[in-house]
Amino acid sequence: MKISFRKHAIGLCLALAGSTALAAKPETVTVGYLNLVNAQLVTKSLGLVQKEMPGVEIKYIKVGGGGDMLRAIAAEQVDFGGLGNPPTAIGVTRGLPIQGIMVLNMLDYVEAMAVRTSKGIKGWKDLEGKTLAAPFGSTTHYLLLKALADEGINPASMKILDLRPNDIALAWSRGDIDAAWFWEPALGRVLKDDGNLFMTSGIMTSRGYPTWDVGVVMNEFAEKYPDYVNKFVKAECAGIDYWLGNPEKTAAIIAKELELPLEDAARMMKGTEMIPCDKQLTAGYIGTTAKKGQFVDTLMSTADFLAEQNRLPKNPGRATFEAFIKPSYLEEVVK
Amino acid sequence: MSTVIGEGYTVEADPPYDQHSISLRSRDELMALRLNRFTAWLQNLELREYLISFTSVTVMFALWVFVTETGIANELFLPGPVAIYDAFTRVLFDGYQGSTLIEHVGTSLYRILSGFGLACLVGIPLGIAMGMSRSVHASFSPFIEFYRPLPPLGLYTLLVMWLGIGEASKLALLFLAGLPGIIIATIQAVNDINPTFIRASKTLGATRMQLIKEVYLPGAGPTILTGMRISLGFVYTVLVAAEIVAATAGIGWMIWDAAKFLLSDIVIMGLIVLGITGVLLDLVMRMIGRILMPWTTVRKL
Repeated sequence: MKISFRKHAIGLCLALAGSTALAAKPETVTVGYLNLVNAQLVTKSLGLVQKEMPGVEIKYIKVGGGGDMLRAIAAEQVDFGGLGNPPTAIGVTRGLPIQGIMVLNMLDYVEAMAVRTSKGIKGWKDLEGKTLAAPFGSTTHYLLLKALADEGINPASMKILDLRPNDIALAWSRGDIDAAWFWEPALGRVLKDDGNLFMTSGIMTSRGYPTWDVGVVMNEFAEKYPDYVNKFVKAECAGIDYWLGNPEKTAAIIAKELELPLEDAARMMKGTEMIPCDKQLTAGYIGTTAKKGQFVDTLMSTADFLAEQNRLPKNPGRATFEAFIKPSYLEEVVK
Repeated sequence: MSTVIGEGYTVEADPPYDQHSISLRSRDELMALRLNRFTAWLQNLELREYLISFTSVTVMFALWVFVTETGIANELFLPGPVAIYDAFTRVLFDGYQGSTLIEHVGTSLYRILSGFGLACLVGIPLGIAMGMSRSVHASFSPFIEFYRPLPPLGLYTLLVMWLGIGEASKLALLFLAGLPGIIIATIQAVNDINPTFIRASKTLGATRMQLIKEVYLPGAGPTILTGMRISLGFVYTVLVAAEIVAATAGIGWMIWDAAKFLLSDIVIMGLIVLGITGVLLDLVMRMIGRILMPWTTVRKL
C-alpha cells in the first residue's frame, strides 16, 4: 500500500511538472508548404523540425499555390506557411493575422515564360494578338503584367488566360496557347515540346522586380510559443545550409519528395536561389528589426500594382508591411 | 321562435336575449369574427407561406446585420450588407476585371442555357425512348448510371483534354451535368402513365407517333418539367467549376477570381446574384409549364 501511494505521489508530481511544461509547448505544429522546389522539402524529409521540437506532433500539409495558402491561413488551418509576394501583399492588406519571419527562396528561372518556337515569337511586340496564360494572382501573373507595362504594350492587345500550371501544360500540348509564364515541374514539359525560354523571373529580379516566397507564422502561435518559432526558423536554416552544402543529396531528396526524375530536380534546384540565414538579415532581403530590408519595398510595389488592378481595395502603406516583417526570430537564431 | 325543418327537427333561430347581453356578446363575436377571418386568410391563401418565408428571410437578414455590425463576424469573411451593396454597384457600373456585372451574368446565362437546352433536347427524346422500349433502356442506362455520380472536376480535366480550353469544354460540362436528371425523370414519367390510356389509344388505332404526341408527352409533361427544374439546379452547381479553367468572364469565374484575392464582398455578391438568376429561371420554367400544360398544376417543390 505504502509503495503504491508513493508511486502515485511521484506520478502526480510528474504530471504536475509535465503540465507546467505543456503550457508553453504546443501539442501539434502544422506546417503548410508550397508545392515548389525549396529547402523546406529538405527540412521536411530530414525531419529537422521534429528534431528541434521533441514530443510535438509535426504535421505537414502540401498547398498548391498562394491562393490556397491564403485560404488555409484565413481558416487557421496552419501554424506556419509560405507565401509569394503577391499573396503576401494581399493577405497583409486584408489583415490576415500573420508575420513574415524568413526568406524561403528567391525565384530565378524555376519560374519562366515559355513561348511556342514554331510561332516565331522573338520580341514582346510579337505577342500582340497571341494567347497567353498565367495563374492569376501568382508571382508570374504579376511579373507578366509588369513586363508588359515596362515594354509599353497594352495587355488588352493579347488574350491573357487564367490557367493553373498543370492546365497550362495541357493547353500547351493541344496548341491552345502560344506563351505562358509559370513554374516547374510543368514548365519543363512545355520547354521540351516546341517551347522556348523567353523570359525568367531571375531576369526580372535584376530589373527591380524580385519575386520570392516568405515563411510566415500565425500571430496567435507566435504569441503563445515564441520559442517554437525560433526552433522552426533554426530547423529551416539548417535545411538551407544542407541544400547549399550537399547539392547532390538535396537533388535526391527533392526528386523523391516531388516524384521527379533526378535530372529535373537538379535543374529546378539551380533555378531557385536559397539565401543563407545570416545573409537574410541584410538590406537586400528582410533586413533587421532596426532597419527592414528590400522585402518591404517589393511588398509596397506589389500592393500598388494589385490596387491598380482593382484586386486590392488600396495599398495599406509602408508601416503595415514593416510591421509584418519580423526579423527578431531570425536574429535570435543567427546570433 | 323555432323553425321546423323536415320531420321533427327544429333549429333555434332567434334565441331570446336582453339588451345588455347583446352588446357584450357582439363585441366578443366581432373579435372572434375578426380573428377567424385572419386565420382563414392565413390558412386559405398561399400568402401564409409567403408570410413565413418573408419572416425567415427578414430574421436571417437581421442576424446578418447584427453579427457584422457588432463585430462578431470577421469582416474579411463576412462583410456587412452595405459592403455587399457597394460591391454590387461597383461591379454593375465599373465592372470586375474588364466586364460589367451584366456581361458576367450574360456570359454565364448563355453557357447555362446552352448547356441546359442541349441537355433537354437530347434528354427528353432519349428518356421517352428509354421509357417506351426496354432494349433502348438497356443499351443506354449503363453509361448514364456510370458517369452520373462522377465528380464534375474529374470529368472536366478529360473534357479539357478532348475539347480544349475554349467554350466547347465548358458547355459540355454543363450539358453533362444537366443530362441524367432529365433522362431519369422522363423515364419515370413515361413509366407512370396509366397503361389503360395507352391500350385505349392503341385500340382506337393510334400510330406510334400519335401515341407519343397525344398520350406520352401530355401525360409525362409535368414530371418531365419537374426533372428539368432539378436538372437546372445541377447545371448551376457546376457553373463555377466550368468557369475555373481559362475563362475571362462569367459570374462563376468572377467568384473564383475574387476568392483568390480574398475579395469576399464580391464573392458573396456574386453568389447572391447567381442565386437570384436561378430563382428567376425556375419561375420562368414554372410559368412555361402552366402555359403548355394548363390541365395540371405544377406542384411547388
